[in-house]
Amino acid sequence: MVKFTIDEIRGLMDKQHNIRNMSVIAHVDHGKSTLTDSLVAAAGIIAVENAGDQRLTDTRQDEQDRCITIKSTGISLYYQMEEEWLAAFKGKRDGNDFLVNLIDSPGHVDFSSEVTAALRITDGALVVVDCVEGVCVQTETVLRQALGERIRPVLTVNKMDRCFLELMLEGEEAYTNFLRVIENANVIMATYTDEKLGEVQVYPDQGTVSFSAGLHGWAFTLTTFAQLYSKKFGVAEEKMMSKLWGDNFFDPKTKKWTKKDTGSGTCQRAFVQFIYNPIKAIIDGCMAGKKDDVFKKMTALGILDLLKSEDRELDGKPLMKRVMQTWLPADRALLEMMIYHLPSPAIAQAYRVETLYEGPPDDVYGTAIANCDPNGPLMLYVSKMIPSSDKGRFFAFGRVFAGKVGTGQKVRIMGPNYVPGQKKDLYIKAVQRTVLCMGRRQDAVEDVPCGNTVAMVGLDQYITKNATLTNEKCVDAHPIKAMKFSVSPVVRVAVECKTASDLPKLVEGLKRLAKSDPMVQCSIEDTGEHIIAGAGELHLEICLKDLQEDFMGGAPIRVSDPVVSFRETVSKASDKVVMSKSPNKHNRVYMTARPLEEGLPEAIDEGLVGPRDEPKARGRYLAEKYEWDKDIGARKIWCFGPDTTGPNMVIDMTKGVQYLNEIKDSVVAAHQWATKDGPLAEENMRGIAFEIEDVVLHADAIHRGGGQIIPTTRRVMYAAELNAGPKLMEPVYLVEIQCPENAIGGVYSVLNQKRGIVFEEQQRPGTPIYNIKAYLPVIESFGFTGTLRAATSGQAFPQSVFDHWEMMSSDPHDEGSKSNEIALEARKRKGLKEILPTTKDYEDKL
Amino acid sequence: MLYLIGLGLGDESDITRRGLEVVKGCKRILLESYTSILPGISKERLEELYGKPVEIAYREKVEEDIEEVIEEAREDDVAFLVIGDPFGATTHTDLYLRALRLGVKVEVVHNASIMNACGACGLQLYRFGETVSIVFFTETWRHGDSFYDKILRNNAGKVEGGLHTLCLLDIKVHELNFDEMIKTGKPVYMPPTFMKASVAASQLLEIEERRKDGACSPDRPAIALARVGAKDQVIVSGTLERLSRSDVDDVLGAPLHSLIVCGELHDLEKEFFEHFDIDKR
Repeated sequence: MVKFTIDEIRGLMDKQHNIRNMSVIAHVDHGKSTLTDSLVAAAGIIAVENAGDQRLTDTRQDEQDRCITIKSTGISLYYQMEEEWLAAFKGKRDGNDFLVNLIDSPGHVDFSSEVTAALRITDGALVVVDCVEGVCVQTETVLRQALGERIRPVLTVNKMDRCFLELMLEGEEAYTNFLRVIENANVIMATYTDEKLGEVQVYPDQGTVSFSAGLHGWAFTLTTFAQLYSKKFGVAEEKMMSKLWGDNFFDPKTKKWTKKDTGSGTCQRAFVQFIYNPIKAIIDGCMAGKKDDVFKKMTALGILDLLKSEDRELDGKPLMKRVMQTWLPADRALLEMMIYHLPSPAIAQAYRVETLYEGPPDDVYGTAIANCDPNGPLMLYVSKMIPSSDKGRFFAFGRVFAGKVGTGQKVRIMGPNYVPGQKKDLYIKAVQRTVLCMGRRQDAVEDVPCGNTVAMVGLDQYITKNATLTNEKCVDAHPIKAMKFSVSPVVRVAVECKTASDLPKLVEGLKRLAKSDPMVQCSIEDTGEHIIAGAGELHLEICLKDLQEDFMGGAPIRVSDPVVSFRETVSKASDKVVMSKSPNKHNRVYMTARPLEEGLPEAIDEGLVGPRDEPKARGRYLAEKYEWDKDIGARKIWCFGPDTTGPNMVIDMTKGVQYLNEIKDSVVAAHQWATKDGPLAEENMRGIAFEIEDVVLHADAIHRGGGQIIPTTRRVMYAAELNAGPKLMEPVYLVEIQCPENAIGGVYSVLNQKRGIVFEEQQRPGTPIYNIKAYLPVIESFGFTGTLRAATSGQAFPQSVFDHWEMMSSDPHDEGSKSNEIALEARKRKGLKEILPTTKDYEDKL
Repeated sequence: MLYLIGLGLGDESDITRRGLEVVKGCKRILLESYTSILPGISKERLEELYGKPVEIAYREKVEEDIEEVIEEAREDDVAFLVIGDPFGATTHTDLYLRALRLGVKVEVVHNASIMNACGACGLQLYRFGETVSIVFFTETWRHGDSFYDKILRNNAGKVEGGLHTLCLLDIKVHELNFDEMIKTGKPVYMPPTFMKASVAASQLLEIEERRKDGACSPDRPAIALARVGAKDQVIVSGTLERLSRSDVDDVLGAPLHSLIVCGELHDLEKEFFEHFDIDKR
């Protein structure tokens, strides 16, 4: 079925002007995957007849394989275009063959790094919007991310079939609908306009908007019809195009064009008369079984000959699909948009270099990126790790921005924590194999030049998530900018399968879910519950959908009410030193706790302070910013936790304790444990510095091993936290709400009721739309969207992103307080004793 | 009354006559089972001899849940059996102190311990310095300076005038795996592991390589012992380097192993040393 050879593809990779790197982005369920299938089908990987049905008819194992591959990898697609079709293309090209590297960004990750990771390695984006549902929160978020990365968008108004089959819309109604969708998208694009990227708004009459029915495998742009009618009317194609959209009406009786509906009864909007109605006629004809009628119309369009004789035997819906696919093949319209209107890497990299490269844009590396120079030094960004068929191994997947990468080449791997001039987070390793992702199969290629995506074997041990690769000798290269997201999986649900025998599916499904989205956390509680933690209600909803439909083959699951994660912190320094004895009573650890300085936990989150810092630099930074003693900041911080990088630390304040180093490992392990499950409600700790004041150790090493020191240190940390004004912190969203003026009152009243605090209110220039920004506790956010819509007659659209942790003022030990209530509830859920512990429970007396 | 009773080192019959009489008269018998083992002797063999059930007591029981045992000893006689001598290591001093604090009477029945039975190798007990335990290196922790320092203090890094060092080797009978426990939140136990003499010798050589203070240089004489006090005990001598080779473990056989880093050898001690030479067996 594959129509081309690897050599042909490899040859095409050198023709920069014939390459398009693009991603498909959409709100969940707007039909992104089926549309992608149409594109893949046209490249010859999936049989055309099955496009659209692929998700439904594929066997389960196959579907699962496919979902993973398509979800998490890029696909290189090879298209051969006819000269005639390319005639109108004004940009540079080199022959008629085009290579489209399609990166499918997972639809569900409005908050996660994965979308940006996908966007990072592409230059253009196909934005898919459901013609009925319109622009949704997710659409806006991904569009904003795309424009932030200087990615040029084109739009497709999808699920057209719903207009004809489900809603039975009349032409004018449908038109208004489409117009609104496109305008909404343009409003967003206008908001995030970037000077260097230039005009990004999309217009049907310029060919940057298409109309599609992904499920049925058909789509069109106005060009398709303009070509048809320009012949018929003898009008220039361009002119015809402008007539086919907007307020242009035609009366076939008088044969006159007008700017307004004349009300004659036969006068109709051109879009309706020449596009919508003819499609409607064919679809209705097929569905009503009037085959002769349909075939007659097809003959008039000159497409009946294209319909295979066996297809002519079909009836109803299958016939309709085949007819529409023959008439308006989806890949044609989409490819037209992509090839005509999305930039090639040669064009895109010139204006993207500033947002990509960390070093000076005019150094040799910056220049090579800007020029997309295959003879320049290698600059490659690995945006993600994708599981390979070799169990437990991963491909490093990314984009070559300059130079070439080849099999066996030695590369310099700069990790996210690499600092130019230093050795940390830096490896020099050989690429075992360079590989092309072709959907389900991977093919080895000798090398890959700039402007293309590539998968590499043999680097997975040295790259955790992303990295910049350059040539071995390029020691002065700066890395490509890393992407930082201040997101946190703060909302959790428990899932179980409705049928007990589906448990293996659930377990396997959760594993796959965790891999497919780097932010989602899947875990098993002590109670045996399977927990999924995500960024918010919406994110979770989508994860659950994926889990059930894609990873569990549709097996039914039951989901608990969402639960919010909290953090435990301290509000003051311990008023005394607390001590715990080891189980054998031969070792004693003395500690105090204090809150970290304001802003320091965030600095740790952002990686400004962390375990891998150069000690002296860290000492200086902490001294300057937070007035620490330089020596303590440089040499006395033992560790961060939880997960070795979290916003809590252990500081050694002891003097002259012999063999203290021998228990360091145990203290570090205890810290990871304690900060992961705090004493109040087994929530993570945040913003606590534990200071070791003194330690008494047994003379013999065997009596002060991990078994003795780890539980002891954990207990003393608990005692110290509980002795230092323990408090809970709750996660808070930044909510952005768009609404017209008359809905503002409703927005405020809902926010008040939900403990929200408005901190900005702005009218969007030139529109009656207001932008309101507020902080909203995550715990209050469940059902927020619904309440808000109800209070504003559906006029207000909120979008929530995790913003920060806020200390709750109430004392958790104060019975009946909000904190107390939350802590007790969490304890109950986790099967812990429903009494909050105090220092006494963990402290030992001499 | 709480009786702390030493079982000696060999098999069930090594208990002293007084010890056996006491055990037979006790209402409840616990066998401490995490600091040492009786080579190849099962709980059932003990029960057969005593005519009573024996409870196995692991670390958690002894360190964290022993109060109820002490309380029971207030009214009735309870035997707490320790392999070797009850005070051979420091482990059970805490038990003694706790019982005293609670006003419960304690009586001790002594027995042989590795601390004196190691004299079997012919080195004079008078000439030993501080005893050390050698613990397993982990992936991240390979310092071991504390036990090296003590060996250094014993032998001063020289041959002349140096004292011998008895090294007790790491034993994990029923220990929690904390890494797993932190990950899963559930108590996970490691499989039983016993350090072999060759591993101890190599660890010492590794530290010597870094420290270069001469306390454990490759040519330093050393003696490895296995199952001291049992009928099949084995003793071999050689340089530390020789004893770090894995064939030593084949000669020594099953656990428990101990290692002695020798100081200056007296003439008589030298005769013993040569007698046990691993390459002249």
